[in-house]
Amino acid sequence: VGNYADVLHDPVFWGSILTTGEFVVLAVTLETVLGLLLALLCAREVRFVRAIRGTLILPMIVTPVVVGIVFRLLYASDVGLTASLARAFGLDPPEILGTNSGAFLGLVALDVWEWTPLLFLILLAGIQSLPTEPFEAAKVDGAGAWRTFVDHTLPMLRPTILVAVTLRTIDALTTFDQVYVLTRGGPGNATQLISIYGYQQFFSFQLYGYAAAMLLMVALVVLVAAGFAVTLMRRRRV
Amino acid sequence: VRAGGFGARRIGFLAAVAVALLVALVPLLWMLSTSLKTNREITQDGTLIPHSFTFDNYANLFRGRSFGSYLTNSVVVTSASVAVALLLGTHAAYALARFRLWGGLERYLGFALLVSRILPPIVIIIPVFLTFQTLHLLNTRLGLIAVYAAFNVAVVVWMMESFFREIPVDLEEAAMVDGDTRFTAFRRIVLPLAAPGLVATGIFAVIVTYNEFLFALVLTSTPGAETMPVGAATLIGRINVDWGAMSAAGVIGALPIVVFSILVQKHLVRGLTIGAVK
Repeated sequence: VGNYADVLHDPVFWGSILTTGEFVVLAVTLETVLGLLLALLCAREVRFVRAIRGTLILPMIVTPVVVGIVFRLLYASDVGLTASLARAFGLDPPEILGTNSGAFLGLVALDVWEWTPLLFLILLAGIQSLPTEPFEAAKVDGAGAWRTFVDHTLPMLRPTILVAVTLRTIDALTTFDQVYVLTRGGPGNATQLISIYGYQQFFSFQLYGYAAAMLLMVALVVLVAAGFAVTLMRRRRV
Repeated sequence: VRAGGFGARRIGFLAAVAVALLVALVPLLWMLSTSLKTNREITQDGTLIPHSFTFDNYANLFRGRSFGSYLTNSVVVTSASVAVALLLGTHAAYALARFRLWGGLERYLGFALLVSRILPPIVIIIPVFLTFQTLHLLNTRLGLIAVYAAFNVAVVVWMMESFFREIPVDLEEAAMVDGDTRFTAFRRIVLPLAAPGLVATGIFAVIVTYNEFLFALVLTSTPGAETMPVGAATLIGRINVDWGAMSAAGVIGALPIVVFSILVQKHLVRGLTIGAVK
């Protein structure tokens, strides 16, 4: 039981909880907005949609460890794509992984790159399965694109959005592989998500009880979120 | 006015899609291009297309390092665990879909299985690590197969149960009246009807299992059992600035699963979204 008290008094633990929270909120929000925009754009394009989907799927299939490698190659301050681009425009190459905010935002960008396609796929399927009558009616009434979106698309799509966001949130909370390869939690604790911190406590410092206590508390939170998601999905199915 | 608006919208659409495709592809192409450059060219100002192609970076992965055995391990572990999971999972899912247990227990059983998929892997890994230590399963492919099979069974049961529920009971009952046992009715009638779901579930399981990193990292530390993601990640940890080797490791690491995805592309979208859209 002492382990639990220790965890609660550990500022680094709270720091990594906060980092994880910021990471998840920022990344999942961006992914949802971008995914929804792309899905709306592609929904009526029957001809291109297969090719677009086929390409956009790639980032989410590529092994997460490899995604970490891809972004290290992009961000490298000497040989990276960002550095080459910056030099081409006559700027100093940015030190993305060397600064706290740079590394954190760099990690968010990685997650957005990798997982926007998932939101896109789910929302596209959702949009395509909507009934067509309300939209025809709205057209007859002379409603504009924006009004149609707010009045019809969004309300009908809300259950799908909710499920997609919850699924993505659950997975994002335990992001590990990409951070392990990209930054190992650094610089300092700037990208130390809870899974990285727990891993270090357990395997680098051999604090078995401490790590177990910490991770169990995290698990509880995730389970509650997941229970919420499952209830939602069950309700949709009925 | 109509025609003009249509044209502008069309251009907007094409521009947005082009940007999205570029953003998705360029980072991957950058890695591919870096892997084909000599280390001297890498450190010069980068171009997307290498001036001088070299396959040395790849040759080194297989010569001095163990990427051959990582590949074998990944293929063996992934296929064995998914096969076991599909075999056990479809039967369990069918049972959960058709039979009632005492006190409606079958509903909780389904959820309990799901928990193992939802719990953060880092939480489950501590007891698994300690158990494997006692059982001498660390550093074995068998150990990895066992863990992945357990995870995949949960996935298969969860997804297939809903497929089986949608198949009318009358079909099996008719077959059973005609003399089939329940087992042959399941095999002859139900399974073929659920085939699309089975394929999608299998694809999902293969991708997730091949890509899995944390368990493989913790449970293996010798080339005899390490999988591709672990091999690539530990190589990165050791070399740090050998960008050519790093990018080649990335390409080789992702190649098997990308090839697999291309082979099954017709069913891929369904496999990737099956958990959410079903």
